[in-house]
Amino acid sequence: MVPTIMKQGRLAPWSYLLPALILMTAFIVYPTIGTIRLSLLDATSTNSAATTCTAGKSCWGIFENYHFALTNTDMLIALRNNALWLLLMVPGTIAGGLLFALLADRVRYESIAKAIIFLPTAISFIGAGIIWRFVYDIETGGSPQIGLLNAIVVGLGGKPVTWLSNPAINNFSLMLVGVWLWAGFCMTILSAAIKNVQAEILEAARVDGANEWQVFWQIMFPTILPTIVVVTTTMAIIILKIFDIVFVMTGGNFGTEVIANRMFTLIVTNPGQSTAIAVILIVLTIPIMIFNIQRFRKEEAAR
Amino acid sequence: MNTRFTRIFGLLAVASMILAACAPAATPTTMPPTAPAATAAPSIDCKGAASGDTLSVVYQWTGTEEESFNTIIKPFETACGITVNAQSTRDAAVLDTLVKSTPPDVLFWPDLSPLKLYTAQLLPLDTVGGDQSNYASYWITMGTVSGKWLAIPVKADPKSIIWYSPTQFKALGYTVPTTFADLQTLVEKMVTDGQVPWSMGYNNGGSADGWTGSDFIQDMLLATQGPDYVNKIIAGTVPYNDPGVVAVYQIYQKWASDAKYTIGGADGTVNTPFLDAIYKVFSNPPQALMVKQSGFAGASIASQYPALVYGTDYDFFQFPGAQGLQGGADFMYAFSNKPAAQALIAYLTSALGGQNWAAANFSLSPNKNAVGNYTDPQEIKFSEMLANTTGFTFDIGDALGAPFNTAEWKGIVDIVQGADITTTLATVAAAQTASIK
Repeated sequence: MVPTIMKQGRLAPWSYLLPALILMTAFIVYPTIGTIRLSLLDATSTNSAATTCTAGKSCWGIFENYHFALTNTDMLIALRNNALWLLLMVPGTIAGGLLFALLADRVRYESIAKAIIFLPTAISFIGAGIIWRFVYDIETGGSPQIGLLNAIVVGLGGKPVTWLSNPAINNFSLMLVGVWLWAGFCMTILSAAIKNVQAEILEAARVDGANEWQVFWQIMFPTILPTIVVVTTTMAIIILKIFDIVFVMTGGNFGTEVIANRMFTLIVTNPGQSTAIAVILIVLTIPIMIFNIQRFRKEEAAR
Repeated sequence: MNTRFTRIFGLLAVASMILAACAPAATPTTMPPTAPAATAAPSIDCKGAASGDTLSVVYQWTGTEEESFNTIIKPFETACGITVNAQSTRDAAVLDTLVKSTPPDVLFWPDLSPLKLYTAQLLPLDTVGGDQSNYASYWITMGTVSGKWLAIPVKADPKSIIWYSPTQFKALGYTVPTTFADLQTLVEKMVTDGQVPWSMGYNNGGSADGWTGSDFIQDMLLATQGPDYVNKIIAGTVPYNDPGVVAVYQIYQKWASDAKYTIGGADGTVNTPFLDAIYKVFSNPPQALMVKQSGFAGASIASQYPALVYGTDYDFFQFPGAQGLQGGADFMYAFSNKPAAQALIAYLTSALGGQNWAAANFSLSPNKNAVGNYTDPQEIKFSEMLANTTGFTFDIGDALGAPFNTAEWKGIVDIVQGADITTTLATVAAAQTASIK
């Protein structure tokens, strides 16, 4: 028989949960509700956002800030750019990380190679932005090029390129910095997954005559797929919130605006519009969260 | 012992302030406001303040600026035996709290926002010792609200200037232009001669890209339209997409985005750090002949090229044809008419106050009597510009704040990169309306 002292009352589980609940309420639930409330108010946070409507133009009433956030020219550019970042940088980091993990797996100095690739992850975004500003630097008017990339381009006989101010390429220049920063993180996690693939299965496939390409796609890839999914969703959330790189390197100029930078710029002048953008950002990350939780539950159930 | 002394002293100070505040209507209109100060032997009028009186002031100055100000008021403190208790803050919220609880006797603030915020509390300066006759009329107009003269600048920093190399100008046979038409002719002549007239650089490490452009454009507005027009933009009565503004942007777009007119064309303008843009005019050989930049450029050039000599290797001239100057100015406001406050206001607006301000080389004093008392050659030149101008405007972006300034900077960058002027300025004008609302 269980001693009385070890029996749990109805309230006991709640008392264990209480600290977490208090923290969650104070630092997540309450601010979220506050943010949503502010997003329905005008720039002074006192009147309804509906009062900011201009007569004769389409108006979303109390949701006027959302109207702004989804139709304003700068915001449309930001939304387009965030979509670009998601579509290009997520696959970019995963592919980069996977490639490094696979290659590092086959060399003797694996740990050194991995440490070098992982190093950028340890650098702050701001630091990385400043470093890459120098890489992309352009000198005009006959001064020698001090930017690494343009020095190479000019050395090979080309004309210096405006990596950061040319709207046709600058978003890709910025994404490259993102990949450089995050590929190491993806590599570490994917590398651990690769190590977990049982050598016997790989050996068996090779004995049966499969080439390395087939071994990877038929055996390795399906085995590490759950890890790839985890890394993908994590990266998607990180990249949706991308801010630092853009802020440091272009300040959102030249068509490189992103959602988080709009939010940051507007918080001073118009908290209503800024928080509406914040809510949109939360809403965009929710599907990824739900997907993550569902997958986690399925995995738990399969155990 | 020591603490008790401080406490008693503090109590006394508070008591004297209360007493002073409780005795208002005693001395307001006793002094003749237009009496010209005797220039022969200027003396300090203490306005009946007793030795040992204290005076509370608030300003934004710190460090060497604060020291300069202390030097300027030292003769006043000595002559009247008044102790000035200063609080330095740059925070408008701190000022607001103070004004609503214990307002300073005298306030020095680098913009005109107190005029709007504290109209009812501010005292007309001519009733508290201020002397209008030492100032150009546009300064009085700027500080007057519905007929009441509430603010007067004690310090000004004009920035409507262009830096150039007199040596280069001489070698190439160019002369300093004096009208805006002259400047346009000179620029075209330089281009025909195969020289690059301008060096421009927006790169400021991120979000503020475009501010050097906005200074340039405001000077062009001052030349083509004048200071009243610029002040109307700040007031919102002239929209930022007015034909006068568009005309200026058309010239500016050509100058800032064509490689014949500026180093590297649009790519050079948006990518070059603003300090490099200054250096490129004074490098050997120079890459361009002129750079539009504020007074600080002088110190930048001196530290980058220590061998260069001011006046021959590098110098500046007033933006040609500018009918007014743009820049910053610190204004003086009065919240109290106690004798000590009146004495300070009378001193700073007097001939002696202006002379002492100039002698301290603390930027410029808009006081007419300051001219001739500067010692720094660059300040002397600035003071002559200020003495001969007909108007003064704040930086439009600084005066209006966000969202106008961010929209303006972004608009300038876009226009330099070839965006349509009319549509871009319409967006900026919308932000102008939002900023004023």
